[in-house]
Amino acid sequence: MRILARVREDQLRRALQKIAETRGAVFVDAEPLSEEELGDALRAAPDVVVVEAGEVDDLARLRAETNGAGSALVIACHDSDRCETVALANADDWILLPASDRELDIRLETALQRAEGVRFPRRTEETIDRLRFQELLYDRLTGFPTLPVMIDRARELLDRRGELTILYIHYVWYSKIEEIYGWQKLDDVLESTAAAVRDFYARECDDGDNLMMVAHVADDDFILFTHVPAEPGVAERRLKTLTTRLEGFLRSRMEREHGEEIAALVGVYVGTATIFRNPKIRTERLIYRAIREAADAARGAEEWERTLKISDLKATLREGAVFMEYHPIIVTQTEEIYGFEALARGTRRSLRSPEVLFQVAEEANLIWELSRLLRQRAVQGILPNLKQGQFLFLNVDPHDFDDPEFRNLRGEDLGIDDPGRIVLEITERTAIKDYARFQEYLTAFRERGFRFAVDDAGSGYAGLGSIANLAPDFIKLDISLISNIDSNFLKQNLVETIVGFAESQGAQVVAEGIERREEFETVRDLGVHLTQGFLFHKPSAGVPE
Amino acid sequence: MEQKPILVVDDDPDAVEIVGTFLESRGYRVASAPDGRQALAKVDELRPALVLLDVMMPGMDGWEVCRIIKNHPDYGDTRVVMLTARGEFADKQEGLRCGADDYIVKPIRLDELGQKVERNLEARRRAQ
Repeated sequence: MRILARVREDQLRRALQKIAETRGAVFVDAEPLSEEELGDALRAAPDVVVVEAGEVDDLARLRAETNGAGSALVIACHDSDRCETVALANADDWILLPASDRELDIRLETALQRAEGVRFPRRTEETIDRLRFQELLYDRLTGFPTLPVMIDRARELLDRRGELTILYIHYVWYSKIEEIYGWQKLDDVLESTAAAVRDFYARECDDGDNLMMVAHVADDDFILFTHVPAEPGVAERRLKTLTTRLEGFLRSRMEREHGEEIAALVGVYVGTATIFRNPKIRTERLIYRAIREAADAARGAEEWERTLKISDLKATLREGAVFMEYHPIIVTQTEEIYGFEALARGTRRSLRSPEVLFQVAEEANLIWELSRLLRQRAVQGILPNLKQGQFLFLNVDPHDFDDPEFRNLRGEDLGIDDPGRIVLEITERTAIKDYARFQEYLTAFRERGFRFAVDDAGSGYAGLGSIANLAPDFIKLDISLISNIDSNFLKQNLVETIVGFAESQGAQVVAEGIERREEFETVRDLGVHLTQGFLFHKPSAGVPE
Repeated sequence: MEQKPILVVDDDPDAVEIVGTFLESRGYRVASAPDGRQALAKVDELRPALVLLDVMMPGMDGWEVCRIIKNHPDYGDTRVVMLTARGEFADKQEGLRCGADDYIVKPIRLDELGQKVERNLEARRRAQ
């Protein structure tokens, strides 16, 4: 708690100091401050402000300022006439001097409670304002305070310890988790990350008082204020160890809780900066500067790893170090295998995830090279085992259409006689810039015998009209339409509409991401032709019996 | 166990009246709100089992209200059924993005309303 007092009378000041001491509160003596400096002190949001009547000229202004800062206001008066002024100023409580220590203490408590009532009104129509207000101060997901709240506490910590260390935790999403897995997944990941950071600190630092966190300073980054006690010279090394351990801890926790697949899509980088109290520089400026430094350090670490990944990719392309997995697609009615979707992975650990593989290739301008390698591998890897009538679904990156070698692709280039067994999957997520030209390419592919699937359909990036224009042979439903479809009637209706539409176009609908029996039964009842998901098969290197 | 209410949110008092009376006659507890802000306040206060939410409202529209309810961890099991004037594909996609559970196209047919309310309450019970 912080008590700010502007009183001339010594006895009152000493009494307040004593109360602050017994309550373990911080006492700020505002007596020597000018009105302007007092305004500054109020911005630090003390819990309670005590002024002696007559000490402040503009009580109305002070009331407005304390309201703004969320502070309780108590006015001390020497005679009961003054109490009229107090009523006008709308203070939270008043004291008629001289007052006993006990009375003072109680008055402060009452004022605090009243101010609390003002800050968080209980009336129903204002509930929403309260929720909004809390939302500004505390992050909904992580429960961590937001930056404006933290700056104050950071200053307090800096004042008390003389130094402050900032850890900046920078997150990089290699792929849009939100788009692929839905926002709930992203929320889950952020929430559990916050819990992981808390756990790490509970384990690493005995003194919980040292740790404070801020959520979401930029995108999904966190800041952590702490104090790393150590002799000069050793501090740097300790900090380095702490950083590495924290990164490792967050990564392994992510793998355990969300699986390797998701963990591979998330990069965690920690940067640090330490500042020391400097009375000549405004504390906020010091803190913000350190946050920037720590953020730069974290981004530097990311940059470095990016470079490593690109050199890994080059080696991957040179050595052909990729392996293919095949995810069976089954006929909903008979549960027989209809075909396989080829999924590529890098053999190097850093490029294991296909999303990371493609993102790095895009950054390094090596998409065409990567796609060529993967197409060859995908076909070679399954062709001998592909039964009569089964199809191979190949993912096509939108950039591939810029590659002349791809545009002129023929069955024989892939070593197959009948290109009709190849289904090229094009995602609905990518906006098609030049529609007319894209149609032209597709027509040319179709004339050469290839088939098409629109991937991630219904996710809202394109309407049914633009899917109709592409005239696909297959429509693969977006995963957001499938998860929990058994209990969501809106999703059921959307899927029903798409199935009806597909049938009128002579296309078949594929439901991806089927994980539960109930989901399968629901899409089956809705007439979805084909399904794919962990419920029946996981992707595997070979062909299941 | 006290039955949790159904919250009807519509800026048209006649619609609230009709829907409310119908649901009450079927034995549901009903509360109402005339706009998005008051709807959220009611959701916080009453924790309804189901919200019937009009899309077109002045101020905060139904989609935004739905998104806030469905995003909030405390209201996670609240079912949200949108009342929309247009039942086009794109409108339903918007509902999907907001996390809505079901929708009813206006003008409301009471038998459809009764059936959709019951199936959503049933889905909620199953999930518990």
